[in-house]
Amino acid sequence: MMNDTWQRLKSDRYGMGGLMVVAAFAFIAICVWSGLLGQGWSEVSGNRWESASASHWFGTNLLGQDIFQRTLFGTATAFEVGLIVTLCSTILGALLGALSGWYSNGWLDEVILWIKGVLDSIPFYLFAAAIAYALQGNTWAMHVAMIVTFWTTTARIIRGEVIRIKQREYIEAAQAIGLPDLLIIFRHVLPNTFHILLVQASIVFVAAINTEVILSFLGLGIQDGVSWGLMLAESSQEVLAGHFGNFIAAGSFLFILLMGFNLLADSLQDAVDTRRVIQ
Amino acid sequence: MPNTIKIAMLLGLLLLGGCGDPPATQNDVPVKTYKHAMDGAPGSLDPAQSASLYANFMVVNLYDTLYRYKYLARPYQLQPNVAAGLPEISDDGLRITIRLKPGVYFMDDPAFAQGVGRELHAHDFVYSIKRHFDPASRAQGAWLWQNRIEGLDDWKVAGSDYDTEVEGLRALDDYTIQITLIQPFPQLIHTLTQAYAAIVPREAVEKYGQMLSSHPVGSGPFRLDSRNDTRAVLVKNPDFRKEPFDLEDEGYDPASQADLGLHVLQGKIPPFVDRLEFEFITEDAARWNAFSAGELDFIKVPVSQFDHVLSTRSPLKLSPQLGERYHFEASPESGFIYTNFNMADERLGHHPDPHQASRNRALRCAMVKAFDWEKRNEIFFYNIGRVFPGALAPAVPEYDPDADISYNRRDVQGAIELLQANGWNENTLPTLDYGFPNSVTERQIFEQFRNFMMDAGYPSSKIRPMIFATYGDYQRAYSQGKVALINSSWTMDYPDAENLMQLYYGPNASPGSNSANYDNPDYNRLYEASAAMSESPERTAIYRQMNQMLIDDCVSINGISRTLLFLWDRNIIMKPDRSFLGGYFMRFVDLAEPSRAAP
Repeated sequence: MMNDTWQRLKSDRYGMGGLMVVAAFAFIAICVWSGLLGQGWSEVSGNRWESASASHWFGTNLLGQDIFQRTLFGTATAFEVGLIVTLCSTILGALLGALSGWYSNGWLDEVILWIKGVLDSIPFYLFAAAIAYALQGNTWAMHVAMIVTFWTTTARIIRGEVIRIKQREYIEAAQAIGLPDLLIIFRHVLPNTFHILLVQASIVFVAAINTEVILSFLGLGIQDGVSWGLMLAESSQEVLAGHFGNFIAAGSFLFILLMGFNLLADSLQDAVDTRRVIQ
Repeated sequence: MPNTIKIAMLLGLLLLGGCGDPPATQNDVPVKTYKHAMDGAPGSLDPAQSASLYANFMVVNLYDTLYRYKYLARPYQLQPNVAAGLPEISDDGLRITIRLKPGVYFMDDPAFAQGVGRELHAHDFVYSIKRHFDPASRAQGAWLWQNRIEGLDDWKVAGSDYDTEVEGLRALDDYTIQITLIQPFPQLIHTLTQAYAAIVPREAVEKYGQMLSSHPVGSGPFRLDSRNDTRAVLVKNPDFRKEPFDLEDEGYDPASQADLGLHVLQGKIPPFVDRLEFEFITEDAARWNAFSAGELDFIKVPVSQFDHVLSTRSPLKLSPQLGERYHFEASPESGFIYTNFNMADERLGHHPDPHQASRNRALRCAMVKAFDWEKRNEIFFYNIGRVFPGALAPAVPEYDPDADISYNRRDVQGAIELLQANGWNENTLPTLDYGFPNSVTERQIFEQFRNFMMDAGYPSSKIRPMIFATYGDYQRAYSQGKVALINSSWTMDYPDAENLMQLYYGPNASPGSNSANYDNPDYNRLYEASAAMSESPERTAIYRQMNQMLIDDCVSINGISRTLLFLWDRNIIMKPDRSFLGGYFMRFVDLAEPSRAAP
C-alpha cells in the first residue's frame, strides 16, 4: 500500500514540489540543530538596520543582529515546535481515538468524547493564550497548549475509522480466537489507520508552525531564542520607519514553508485516499 | 489546489492584519474635544490604587487634590488646588495647617442623598488619606506617609476604624485640616499633589466598594462618560468651581511660551474643552498611525519615529514639514532607567561571608563595566538620553554635571580581568534571570544586555529571560525578590531628590520602592539624617556622598534619563506635561477653532 501511495504521490507534480520545499527547510533545520547554520542569531554583528550586503544577506535589525541568521534559526524553531507538537498530539489523538472508537458508546468513549467536547468548545487562541499564561515562564508552555488542543481532531477522525474497521471480518476473527482487546487495537486496528494519521500529522505540522508564529507574535510563544513570529513582531515597529528586513525574511520563509506543506498535505491526502484516486 | 490558494490568501490577510488603521468615528456634534494618546491603560481609577502614570493622568481630572503644580512655571512650583492657600507650618516644622476653599462640590451621584453632590470638607481629605492605611482598600500609596504622620501607622495596627480619630491627621472644622508629623517632612506638600492624595467622598466608597475603581465620584473638572481597555471618555463637569485662568499666576513665560497661543486663555473658566478622549494604544506603530491620520491631538513620539520627526539632533529641531502641522517640545524625563541587581540574592548581592560578599561585588562591578551605555543610548534613545552615574538624575539640582562618569564607560577588558581576579569563570558564574514584561522592545533590550555580558565572557545560557505578561506581574515578581536582574524605570513623584535617594534606603526594600534590596547601614544612616532636611548645600553634599556609595557598591547599572518628544496639533492650545504636573494640564487645554466634530 505504501508503495502505491508513493507512486501516486510521485506522479503529482504539486505534491513533489511541496515535498522538495519541505525537505529543503528540514535540511536547514537539521543544519541549525547540528550547529552548522544560524548559530550567530543573537550575536550583534553589524550596525543598526544595515541594508542587505555580502556580509548580511538580509540586512540587520535594530540591534545589528544578522536577519539571515535569525531567519535560519527561526526555521529550526518552527520545525522543533512542529515536530514535537505533531508527534505528541498525533500519538495522543491516535491512542484516545482508538480507545474511544473501540469502546464506542461505552463509558470510556463517553469520557473521551466529553473531554474533547470541552476542549473544542473553548476558542482555540484564547485557550492557547490561557495555558501559555498559566505556565508563564515555562519553555514548554506553548507546546503544551498546542498538544492539548490539537489531539482532539486526530482522535475524532481515528475514532470514526476504528468504528469502521472493527466491523471487518478479520477483527471479528481476532476477537473470536480470544485475543485481548488492547492487542487487537495495537496490532490490527491502529496500523490500518496509519495513512490517515500521516495526512493528519502533515496538517497538524502546518497548524503548529502557524500557531507558533502567532503566539510568538503575541508574546506568548518562544521564551528564549528567535522565531519567525518574534521577527514579525519586531517588524511591526520597523516597517513604519522604512525597514522591511525582518518582515520580508520571516514572512517569505513562513509563506514558502506553509505553501510547501499544504501542497504536500493535499497531495498526500489524494495519494492515500483510494476513493479519490478512482474518482 | 483550491485549499492551498485559500490558505495562502488567509495567511496573507493574517500577515497584513496588524497593519490597518483603527477606524475613525465622527459625527456632527459641535463640541470641543481633545484626544490624547497614551501608551498604556490605567488599571484602576480609585485614587488609592492609582499607582501608574496612566491612572494618575485620569484621576487628577476626575478628583481634586489639595495642591497641584503651576501649569506653566518651570522649575515646578506648588499651587493650591482645593486648598485656599499654601500651608501654615509651625516653627518646629511638625504641625501643618491647611485651609480649604469653600464651595467645592462633589459631582452629582446616587451615592449622595437625593443624588446631589455635597460640599467637599476637611474630613473627606482625612478619610482619603486614612484609606491608604486600611488593608481593605488595597491601597498602594501608604509609603508616601508611612512613619511620617503622628498616629497614622498605629491607626492601621489598631484595625483601621474610620471613626477613630488619628492624632496627627485631623479635620479641625469643615475647612481646616491639621497634620502633625513625627519629624519634619519637607516633601509633605509635594505628596499632596499626587493622585494618591485625591479626595474621595466616604459615601461613594461605601456604596461602590471595589467598584469605585471604575465608578469615580470626585470633584474634578471632568466626569467619566465611558471607559474600556482601549479608550476612556471624560466629559466636562458643569459644576466645577468657577476660577478664572490667570496666566501670570500659572507662571506664564512669554519669552519661551508665546508660540503656544496661551494668551487667549486669560480670564476664561477652565476646563476649556467639553470632552477628553484618552486612547490607550500600546503599540508604537498603531499610535503613530492614528496620530498621523489626525485621529489624535497629542502623542509622545515613539523612538522609532525620531528620525522622521527631527531635522537635527543637536539642537533638537522638528522637521519643517511637521512643524507646519504640529507644536513640538523636547522634555527631559523626571526620572531614569536602570538595571538593579537584586542585592537580597546571595549569589550576586549581600552575603554574610565577607569574602563572598567581596566576590559578589566584583561580579556586579564587572557587569557594570561590560555594559555599553553609548550603544544603549544610540539604539533605544536615539542618542539624546542623558547618561549619569548613580541615582542622582539630571532632573534634580543635586545632580553633579562634573561627576566622574567612568562608572558609565564601557571597559570590557577591565570586566574580564575583574572576573578572573575574583575567581569567576563560565562554570562558577551564577545563572541569572533577567526580568521584563512582554513586549518587543523589552525583549530587544534584554538581548542587547545579554550581548554586552557575553562580550565579557558571561555565557549566553546563564543570562535567561524571565518574561511576564504584564508590567504588574513583573512588578509583583521583583517585589517578592524573584528576579535577579531588574530592568525598570523610576519616574519621580515630586521634584525633590529625596524621592530618588529613598530608592536605595534599606527599610524601603521589597515590596517597597527599594527593588535592589540594598541595605547599607552607612547609606541608611545618612538618609535618615537628611530626611528632615530641605534642599540645601548641606543636603546636596550628603546626597552626593550617598550616590557615591551606590557607585562604589555597584548596586545598579544606572542610569539614563530619556528625552521625551511631544507633538500636538496646532489647533490645540496647551503646554503638555508628562512629569510632575502630569494630567493636571488637561483642564487648561483649549482649541483654536471654536468647534470640532466629535463622536
